[in-house]
Amino acid sequence: MYNSLKWLMPVLVVSLSACSETGDSTLKNNNKESKSTAKNLDDSTTLFEIGTEATKELINGWDIDIAIDGSGLPEGSGSVAEGEQLYDNLCAACHGTFGEGEEQWPKLTGGENSLTDQRPLKTIGSYWPYSTTLWDYINRAMPFPAPQSLEVNQVYAITAYVLNMNDIVSDEFILTNQNLASIKMPNAQGFYLDDRPDTSNQRCMKDCKPPESIVVKSGPTYVSTTQGSPSHSELSKTFSSNGQTIYLSGCNLCHDNGLMQAPKIATPSDWVERQQASKDTIYQNAINGLGNMPAKGGRNDLSNNSIKQAVDYMLETLE
Amino acid sequence: MHGFSPKQQLDLITSLELESQALSSSDRRQFLKNAMLMLGAGTTLISPSVGLANSVSNQPSSNLPPNIPEWSKKLGTGVLTEPYGKPSSFEKNVVRDTVDWLTQDRISSVSMTPLHKLKGIITPNGLVFERHHAGVPIINPDQHRLIIHGLVENPLVFSLEELQRFPSVSEIKFLECPANGGMEWKAPQMSGLQFTHGMLSCCEWTGVKLSTLLAEVGVKPEAKWVLAEGADGAAMTRSIPLDKAIDDTIIVYAQNGEALRPEQGYPIRLLNPGWEGNTSIKWLRRLKLGKQPWQHREETSKYTDLLPDGKARQFSFVQECNSVITSPCPENPFQKKGWYEIEGLAWSGKGKIKGVDISIDGGINWRPVALKGLVLSKCLTRFGFMFHWQGEPLLLQSRAYDETGYVQPTFKQLREVRGGNSIYHKNAIHTWQVHQDGSVQNVQLT
Repeated sequence: MYNSLKWLMPVLVVSLSACSETGDSTLKNNNKESKSTAKNLDDSTTLFEIGTEATKELINGWDIDIAIDGSGLPEGSGSVAEGEQLYDNLCAACHGTFGEGEEQWPKLTGGENSLTDQRPLKTIGSYWPYSTTLWDYINRAMPFPAPQSLEVNQVYAITAYVLNMNDIVSDEFILTNQNLASIKMPNAQGFYLDDRPDTSNQRCMKDCKPPESIVVKSGPTYVSTTQGSPSHSELSKTFSSNGQTIYLSGCNLCHDNGLMQAPKIATPSDWVERQQASKDTIYQNAINGLGNMPAKGGRNDLSNNSIKQAVDYMLETLE
Repeated sequence: MHGFSPKQQLDLITSLELESQALSSSDRRQFLKNAMLMLGAGTTLISPSVGLANSVSNQPSSNLPPNIPEWSKKLGTGVLTEPYGKPSSFEKNVVRDTVDWLTQDRISSVSMTPLHKLKGIITPNGLVFERHHAGVPIINPDQHRLIIHGLVENPLVFSLEELQRFPSVSEIKFLECPANGGMEWKAPQMSGLQFTHGMLSCCEWTGVKLSTLLAEVGVKPEAKWVLAEGADGAAMTRSIPLDKAIDDTIIVYAQNGEALRPEQGYPIRLLNPGWEGNTSIKWLRRLKLGKQPWQHREETSKYTDLLPDGKARQFSFVQECNSVITSPCPENPFQKKGWYEIEGLAWSGKGKIKGVDISIDGGINWRPVALKGLVLSKCLTRFGFMFHWQGEPLLLQSRAYDETGYVQPTFKQLREVRGGNSIYHKNAIHTWQVHQDGSVQNVQLT
């Protein structure tokens, strides 16, 4: 692989002809006399020296990936018991109390030995080949409405609990940066590298099959619409001018079903305490964030006014 | 009209007319009536001299020959009416669309390109299909960076401005979600072309080759893979083999001549030509070189192809040769008997399209058809042929083959080896059934 890179260097050089013989060493341009310049170019460094050094400090802030040997894991630990509490608060609203998944949100558990079924259920327990993937993913992308918001030990705890829900670790298990990579997943052997092409159709041109062999299986009838997708045009038309539309553009993720302990719309009992405060306090809490809710629910692109309209809409649903 | 000068009246009416052009004639009539009443004018005051009478009386045909159309007898709008131009208001239905039951919400979701309305091979930027896993981040380019580190000699950080100082390349390449058509594995489920094949677009992408940047950082000999990571809320990652990264991967900052659209990864994205779209990480912030793949969620739990034996194919990067007829299709039925150009698109992630065959009888007999316009590697290629439709029912199919000799498979061949649960990489020969009334239906032949 390194060889191919080295091979590539002269190609780059010739195509750009970074040539001092042209009399203008600042020009890197196509040169008609590439033959005579090639030798000279081979000697040159050809680097453009654009970009600045990525210091350890810069890199460390973004270097969040975890490899399958566990490298990249920060020091820390979390127990199944701690994870259960966090999961119930932060994850269960979408993924279900037992990992069964609410509505279409991903199911985390079940599906053992189902991979050859008519309807296989691919979960962490039944499908995921590496335990490190789970820590990496929770840390980078969960909870859905507030990614990269969890503390290191919280990620260990939630990972431990999700593994426990899948009967991969015991109730007493404490997950650490030392033991995560050694946890074997049930479907670790379930994958192999791409081996396509796996079909070999031929260009038959005439009498390729008997006409009577054709059986037509029909799909749905197309119904012509004179409008574009209504939700599409509605969204673009009324965005940021209509509380409900703003609400449906993100607030709904938590406030529809109480994810991350959010007060649900159209559920007055969730709001009793909040409504004792002034409306302005509710606005400010929505704009600045409160508890598990990040500022503006993570939608920093929305104006304060839009957030207020979304709040107004949510309060209207309580009446 | 009270309080308006004749000039003001004319201006108002003209602007009302413009705004109402896209409405249906009955809606338009009502819109204009209401507008007039609001302005304090009785409908009787509307003067035929300003050209409203025709539209209000719902006689659109009066613009047809031999009459002089209303737009020929007055001035249009001036320059900069639309500083960034938009399609004609009569094209407002040409939009991306989605299938709501596919995903739980619209933040981690997908929208499809209206292939049935497009010509040539370039997808306009506003119609390129979308696939986000945590919505579209709004990124200030001055506050965005690309870091390249890991097994390299000199880890570097680049701003957008710095990336644009490197030698640029512009390549026309298709981009396809590997789940394109994934809903069709078990049966024809989708009603139209936009939903059976619309996770597919093609742009001219401009940027700097990743190999150029890798030369700059100096790749260590033991490096074999590159992890690409996005700056979105999903911090999307994929492991890319170094061979591909050196071959033709591009760090893209422009599409079809202008800056990347936010939904396409503004300010920068990766583009792995011919490979599953998911590997072309959007909002790219980091590339890390390593010895082995990272086995992250999007290359284990997702984007792996579960086969009938319960094992899954992994790192199935290439989008194999595929094609579809774009007209006629359910959205573009035959209106009456006569001559039509039957046309479509073919593409292969392994190189150029070599040819396309067409069948009108469900695959019993085939005939080769002409490729049209540019035939480029890993790029949409248009094909077409003239057909005289006499009202007979048809089972229309296209079958593409690429320069490697690979021939697009039938559904039967694909299902025999992959079953019905592999979700990704469905590239089977597609069938449209043309009925005697000219309507077109999505069908599968068993």
